[in-house]
Amino acid sequence: MLSDERNRLLCQTGPGTPMGELLRRYWHPVAGAAEFSRTSVKPLRILGEDLALYRDRSGNWGLVDRHCPHRRADLTYGFTEERGLRCNYHGWLFDHTGQCLHQPFEETLHPGGRFKDKVRIRAYQVQEKAGLVWVYLGPRPAPLLPDWDQYYRRGFKQVTVSELPCNWFQCQENSIDPVHFEWLHDNWSAVLRGEDGYRAPAHQRLGFDEFDYGFTYRRIRADTTAEHPLWTTGRVCLWPNCLYTGHFEWRVPIDDTRTLSIGWFVDELPGDLPYEQDVIPCWEAPVIDERTGRWIDTHVMNQDYIAWIGQGVIADRTMEHLGESDRGVILMRKRLLDDLEEVAVGRDPKGLIRDPERNHRVHLPLVPVPGSAAGPRPFVFLAGQPAEVFEQYTQAWHACAASAAEKESAAGG
Amino acid sequence: MGDAATGRVRSAAEVAEARAYGLTHADLGAWRHLTPIEIYWAVQHHVAPAAARRWAAAGLRVGDAVRAIALGMTPEEIAPWAAAGFAPGDAVEAKEVGVPLETAAAWREAGFILPDAALLIRDGWTLDQAVTARYAGIPAEDWSSP
Repeated sequence: MLSDERNRLLCQTGPGTPMGELLRRYWHPVAGAAEFSRTSVKPLRILGEDLALYRDRSGNWGLVDRHCPHRRADLTYGFTEERGLRCNYHGWLFDHTGQCLHQPFEETLHPGGRFKDKVRIRAYQVQEKAGLVWVYLGPRPAPLLPDWDQYYRRGFKQVTVSELPCNWFQCQENSIDPVHFEWLHDNWSAVLRGEDGYRAPAHQRLGFDEFDYGFTYRRIRADTTAEHPLWTTGRVCLWPNCLYTGHFEWRVPIDDTRTLSIGWFVDELPGDLPYEQDVIPCWEAPVIDERTGRWIDTHVMNQDYIAWIGQGVIADRTMEHLGESDRGVILMRKRLLDDLEEVAVGRDPKGLIRDPERNHRVHLPLVPVPGSAAGPRPFVFLAGQPAEVFEQYTQAWHACAASAAEKESAAGG
Repeated sequence: MGDAATGRVRSAAEVAEARAYGLTHADLGAWRHLTPIEIYWAVQHHVAPAAARRWAAAGLRVGDAVRAIALGMTPEEIAPWAAAGFAPGDAVEAKEVGVPLETAAAWREAGFILPDAALLIRDGWTLDQAVTARYAGIPAEDWSSP
């Protein structure tokens, strides 16, 4: 249970709020890079700020105020040029640093005038990595964008984007809540399949370990022992707003009542020959079942969404009754509250990487994820995977299987 | 890879984790009962294997032991908490907030696990206030009688 004041402290992320200041110390994924093969400018609301995300014709990424500083027109209807983004209203041009580069009519009347030098728009840093577009809205110098080892894992990768009508923090609390797997995913799924009598192996013991980039949560269930990787290694609540279990699920606040759920997945491919993916596909995962108007309940993350959205737009933590299964959730709250104090006095919060020497294929604890020897596996995490994405994966899987068989045959022959 | 103290065989996954943290076979031997992430955290925080084992014997994993050491605690301070049915790590949590065992027991009796109680106490809540708040909207006669 939390006071209303504490709850707001953890949930509110707009500019100037303590949690907003904390989250602005981290890089956040906000889109799939592949989205920018179809468009060059995208409206982006993030941490309560309305922005325009673009890639200009030289390939530079930019993230600037959504409104032109001239007469406040919407820059997401602007157009990109070799260098920067030009407003469609009167043609003012801005580069990715926010500097105004061109004011057509002003310069016609005053060719030597330097009005444009006096005009600057709010601008933030952007990077592309692992098929994702990342943004940093905090004070400079920015920390390094983490180079997680998982990005280099061989396999078929894909990115998903969903928009959820609830606050980010209840989504992230799910990242350190092992027992929900047993009920929300195992037992409820069985009920949905009509297997009413089924009960998943029950959780017997929980543990949490801190490390540089978050916490691991560990579990022993009725069907596992203390030797199982779920206990010896555990899964990762990645600081401050991600779950990592072999794939990543970031929960990025759009504002205080909406969250961008960004998924990054890698499917194992047969064999061990090099596999390079030209483009990591990105698709928007639907959350509503159009037949019923209810939330989709067929896939793992969709089930999570139902729980989070069901908690209310902003979960009322003054009304909750926490038990032993919530020790991780309390641990997270406490650590974030401590981090807020660190940021308030000018120190870095947990998990930032500033040393380039340390930022090379940074290891995250990983419970081995079984590969698929029998054939391409259906995507279990989210409903709505486009057929063409599954087809790309299937083709990659069969190509790798054929190469592996060829290699084995050559070795045998 | 076997654990000399416990006879436990480390799984391939655990050995792979250890390698990812830069740990050697010798490290795993020296740190016998600990998992790779615990060993990593202990080394990071200058906790020696013998000290980690003493804290482990008291029921604390390395993460809690690091906090306990920072608070100036000794492993012997854990026992009364464990004997009273608290998780060993609760002793550290309580120490951080300055909550004595009797107070923690009273909160537990009222249905607040220690970490939850500790956060509320840190925020200045009394037990009466917390109990009243948790039953907001429910008539007192429905929850105040034994």
